[in-house]
Amino acid sequence: MDILQYSIRKLIAGIPLILGVTLVSFLLIVYFGPDQTYSLLGKNPTAAEIAELRSQLGYDQPFVTRYLQYLREIVTLDFGSSQANDEKVSSILARTIPVSLALSLPGFVLGNLLGVALALVAAYNRGRWLDKFIMGFAAVGMSISFLIVIIGFQILLSSSDGLDLFPVRGWDTSTPLQYLRYVTVPTLATVFVALGYNTRFYRAVIVEEMTRDHVRTARAFGIPQSQLFYKNILKNSMIPIVTRVVFSIPLIVISGSLLLESYFGIPGIGYVTYDAIVTGDQPVLKAVVALTAVLFVVAQLLTDICYRIVDPRVSLK
Amino acid sequence: MNTVAEAASIDAHGDSLWLKALHKFRRDRVGMWSLGVVSAYALVALGVVLGWWANDWAAVTGPKWAPMSAQYWFGTNIIGQDIFARALYGTRTAFEVGLIVALGATLLGAVLGAVAGFFSGTFIDEMVIWIMGVLDSVPFILLVAAIAYSLQGSPWAMHVAMIATFWITTARLVRGEVIKLKGLEFVEAARAIGVSKPLIIFRHILPNTLHILLVQATISFVAAIKSEVILSFLGLGVKEGMSWGLMISESTFEVLAGFFNNFIAASILMFGLVMAFNLFSDALQDALDPRTVSRP
Repeated sequence: MDILQYSIRKLIAGIPLILGVTLVSFLLIVYFGPDQTYSLLGKNPTAAEIAELRSQLGYDQPFVTRYLQYLREIVTLDFGSSQANDEKVSSILARTIPVSLALSLPGFVLGNLLGVALALVAAYNRGRWLDKFIMGFAAVGMSISFLIVIIGFQILLSSSDGLDLFPVRGWDTSTPLQYLRYVTVPTLATVFVALGYNTRFYRAVIVEEMTRDHVRTARAFGIPQSQLFYKNILKNSMIPIVTRVVFSIPLIVISGSLLLESYFGIPGIGYVTYDAIVTGDQPVLKAVVALTAVLFVVAQLLTDICYRIVDPRVSLK
Repeated sequence: MNTVAEAASIDAHGDSLWLKALHKFRRDRVGMWSLGVVSAYALVALGVVLGWWANDWAAVTGPKWAPMSAQYWFGTNIIGQDIFARALYGTRTAFEVGLIVALGATLLGAVLGAVAGFFSGTFIDEMVIWIMGVLDSVPFILLVAAIAYSLQGSPWAMHVAMIATFWITTARLVRGEVIKLKGLEFVEAARAIGVSKPLIIFRHILPNTLHILLVQATISFVAAIKSEVILSFLGLGVKEGMSWGLMISESTFEVLAGFFNNFIAASILMFGLVMAFNLFSDALQDALDPRTVSRP
């Protein structure tokens, strides 16, 4: 029962991290955040009303009590209601997260698959012009701001100055065709930017594997180049590749879609977060920050455990 | 493979790491070109600070959406401000943000990384690793949002958030290097003659990680410029003055109306600087990497 023991130990090791990320979001958003009293009260409140609301919000409680209360909110997923429209935060999350996934998943998958493919081609032709061309393209992709890429693709594909093939902004998933119409431009922008970083990173990983002794031995045994690349190099490079993929999941769900959704007006979690940032909607903000950070820690732990199951070389330390 | 021979050739030269890096860098044509481009940008930024040009970036001097002309090199924006002057002023903002963040993140990363590395395995080290893990787990934009929220829209929220995120990679690398260095003889010798621990860390060990710090500083610089554009667009970035991010954010309406000057000016200037800095950073890394041996 090595693996079970290992998993339990890993999970216990994750507790300080989870406490840490919740503490950061608690300190920044709740404890040192703006005083909510007067934005929640109506005009001309009495002293008694103020005192009542302050005790309701927990402002008269000591630090530890308020932090524990915050932890309870996270565990029970009960963050109260949005200050903007009184909708429960949990129902906002349930409504918007699927939209964000539908938006960012195609770009995420394509960006990584194409990244690995281009990296393989570049590494295969290392030092030749094709390699230089691909890496030059990657350097360009890395240097252009995501925002510029989004606007650029919008001009090229959606505006009347360009090809005018797709809607300028908005979101509609009623039919697959509509979905395709709205998801194409954001996806192209995501892939373009992701390719720069991914190709560079994956090429470095693959080239590193190429110079290993076992690859040289395999080559000496006369294994054909294509088989060498698939069996001996790509398979062995999977650990850093999978790590990068898993670690970027929370990022694409929130950070990536924040810009895309606020720009294209797509009603996903990123748009809600953007609204919450702009209007200072504390319940939404604290829910999003805490949940994504916890999600990230959990994803990290799960990858570690998966490695242990999949790859016998990972030590049981 | 032939590392022994390579090591011998290094000794034969007898130059310091820095001198060798300089030689290697000067032969790197891409590196030298990118350094030239970055210097040109720096000069533009310096000129704005000293008031040589772009003083009237905020003044309404022309008609709405004037085309490119001798008077308005990049035309004017929707309310008739000179886009060229604004773009030059944006260069200054980019350098300001980049330098502050690169300096702050590198210093913080160097100090915490060195302390954690020197005391590796102790409680101090554990604490630093914990802080790094925690800050790494909060998505960047949300950390900026949370910091901006708690600082109530202070113009420094962006800088604080970037420094709070960017120091981590530097600290990780420095920590690893310090763990390697602290086992070497010169540290043992310093300890034997009774040099105090802070002096050993900051006087004797940390200067030996300078090559890591230099490369990391350039990486933070680029990351700061790129983040500034996105954060300014989201309303979390630059609050006073003008920046490329604000220009692009302004231009989103103009672009839909078919006027591209604002967007193109900011995009191209930003792309040029970021691209040059990326290439410069790569060349610097190659030059300072003792594993890649220069051929005489």
